[in-house]
Amino acid sequence: MIKKISLLSVLLFFIATSVLADQPATVAGYSPEEAMRLGERMYREGLLPSGEPMQALVQLDIPVEGTMFTCDNCHLRSGLGTVEGTIITLPTNGDKLYRTFRAGAEIETRPARTLLAKPFQSGDLRPAYTDETLADALRNGIDPNGREFDWTMPRYLLDDHEMEIMVHYLKNLSAEYSPGVTDTEIRFATIVADGVPQKDRDAMLLPLQAAVKDRNAQSRHQESRARQGPFYKQDKFSAYRKTVLDVWELKGPRETWRDQLALYYQKTPVFALLGGIVTGDWSPVHEFSEEHEIPSIFPVTDLPVLDDDWYTLYFSKGYYQEGETAARFLHNMKLTGDTPVIQVFVDDPESHLLASGFRQTLKMFGQALYVDQMADPATLKSTVFWSDLKRRYPDAVFALWAGPGGVQALPFITSEESGPEIIFMSSRLLGEENSALPENVRDIVHITYPYRLLTQKTAIEKTVRSWLKIRNIPISNIDIQSKMYFLGWMLTGVTRMMSDDFYRDYFLDVFDMMHDESYAIATYPRVSFGPGQRYASKGCFVAKLSKGAQPELVPISGWIVH
Amino acid sequence: MKKTVFSLICLLLLSIFTVFNAVAEEKRYKRTEEVYVVPDVVLTNQDRQSVHLVELLASDKPVLVDFIYGTCTTICPILSAGYSNLQRKLGEDSDQIQLVSISIDPEYDTPEVMTEYLSRYQAKPGWDYLTGSRVDIEKVMHAFDAYVQDKMSHYPLTLIRSPEGSTWIRIYGLVGTKELKQEVDALYKN
Repeated sequence: MIKKISLLSVLLFFIATSVLADQPATVAGYSPEEAMRLGERMYREGLLPSGEPMQALVQLDIPVEGTMFTCDNCHLRSGLGTVEGTIITLPTNGDKLYRTFRAGAEIETRPARTLLAKPFQSGDLRPAYTDETLADALRNGIDPNGREFDWTMPRYLLDDHEMEIMVHYLKNLSAEYSPGVTDTEIRFATIVADGVPQKDRDAMLLPLQAAVKDRNAQSRHQESRARQGPFYKQDKFSAYRKTVLDVWELKGPRETWRDQLALYYQKTPVFALLGGIVTGDWSPVHEFSEEHEIPSIFPVTDLPVLDDDWYTLYFSKGYYQEGETAARFLHNMKLTGDTPVIQVFVDDPESHLLASGFRQTLKMFGQALYVDQMADPATLKSTVFWSDLKRRYPDAVFALWAGPGGVQALPFITSEESGPEIIFMSSRLLGEENSALPENVRDIVHITYPYRLLTQKTAIEKTVRSWLKIRNIPISNIDIQSKMYFLGWMLTGVTRMMSDDFYRDYFLDVFDMMHDESYAIATYPRVSFGPGQRYASKGCFVAKLSKGAQPELVPISGWIVH
Repeated sequence: MKKTVFSLICLLLLSIFTVFNAVAEEKRYKRTEEVYVVPDVVLTNQDRQSVHLVELLASDKPVLVDFIYGTCTTICPILSAGYSNLQRKLGEDSDQIQLVSISIDPEYDTPEVMTEYLSRYQAKPGWDYLTGSRVDIEKVMHAFDAYVQDKMSHYPLTLIRSPEGSTWIRIYGLVGTKELKQEVDALYKN
């Protein structure tokens, strides 16, 4: 009996020590978790554990500080590296560093590499890094082959203590696939809240489901190639996964959505969220994405969260961007300064966001609003209210952020001889009321218009319509459908570039590396990307409505971005 | 016979010298002389001031131009660290050289983004970061033979205007401060 217990103890000891060997008890005197946090700060913020900036040398004689640029500038947040013009930045994530880097098929091939005839066996380009050789690379720019890196790679001045933390972080960076990916599937979800009109729900969901169906169509026998493709293309083919799209339905009060999302996620983890449409602002889903580190790509919302967060990529800043544009227009026309600016808005989330964009951007230009007032619908139609404002500020510029009620207010604003010369209104907020603007105010109403102009829209929209028609999807909301068409289009390019590096941060890194796009997006003139850029369409027109029974929006500005 | 041997030795020494010299002078970048016509555009600097590019580049000082963007991954940080170090090396004379960075991502590079960027690189007066409409930015890129369809395709380029203003030294590649300063000094200290 004692012998059995002793044997068991010895066995348990070996199991315990082998487990601990993978995860050290301490790293440079810190717990592994704390070392990861400190390593992440070095990697992303360029700050040493002491809080001082990291020091390095580039191009032989240029000293740089970690506060200028950091590891993730070039190697990206995921560590998978980037290609920019003629400069290739190699991966620095744990999985790639601590693996022998081979020419040709990098992964295990079928038949096994060692069973292949010698000429077909790919050579080793670079042995796997060890902690020591990785430290040598970071300090002296020498790889395990003894090859010296280009001097674009900084040589870091790190002591042993700091180096241990950095190596620990890199070893664990993108070391395991993110949840939502199996050997055969990559799973996404989209979100629909109850209360969304059926036509908008269909406009979001049907094109997205059609795009997924297209991806799974096996038009190039991807599954078969992934299983049995030739060894020299194994890398390329083995990345294929069938795409699954779950639909997460949110019901009841908004306050319960985050819990509902967490339950869905707990039951079936997904790699990322695609599209999605809810009533009200996107903040519950945005916060869920941040909390669980799940990318959320191009939700259909004009009420995004405005922050420097990482995980949600929006089409634009929505209503905020229109308010921002009105302020920029005034500033660019040199109308800020002595000119009084008055803002009146109604009490709804859209108008609040517009008002916020206008207010904050004017403030940035050093301009305070003379009047910044929320008004109820009755006040908007009060002659006394408007007369008083015009009497106090005769030369004022007005911004009126209200839906259809705004159009009804216009006769009261312009009822007297001395009316304002500029009234800003939002085309998105006015909706179809755009064309209901009375003839006599069309010269003074400046409409913020955040879309591609109609005259330039037709050709691309025609492509979208054809795509939908072939898939028997009726046109229910072409704006939303165009956006989801674009999302499907982008997804193809992004997943191809992502290959089999199924890391969520890399998924976003790849979106960030995508070329600016004006070809497949019907909604906006241009969407652009870049590391950390989270609002793809960045500008807006200011336009006026032409005279006549069939008025058109005529831009009076370029695409304003500054 | 003696003469032939002597000639052969001379030739051998000359070729060794030439090869040695070529190796010693081998540059890590490509240097050419070009003629550019600066387009007549008005851009915006980091302080939201309008800048006539022609006037800025016609400065009496040596002028250096590069093309960057605020969220660039690899090339721009090295170019900008180079500008920063050049200013540091020049010390109190840093404003004696006009450094110009032109955005190739005008949608994102607002004056606020550019101000933050310059601050990160500890820029001193004399380093201007310019943005503008996409149309104007493309005019500038074309004028300096630096056009790229997308910012992710760009390449490392530094242009140094000659004192006469008619020709520019085009440096293709990433360079150290010593090399950059040598190029400037070679133009302006003759």
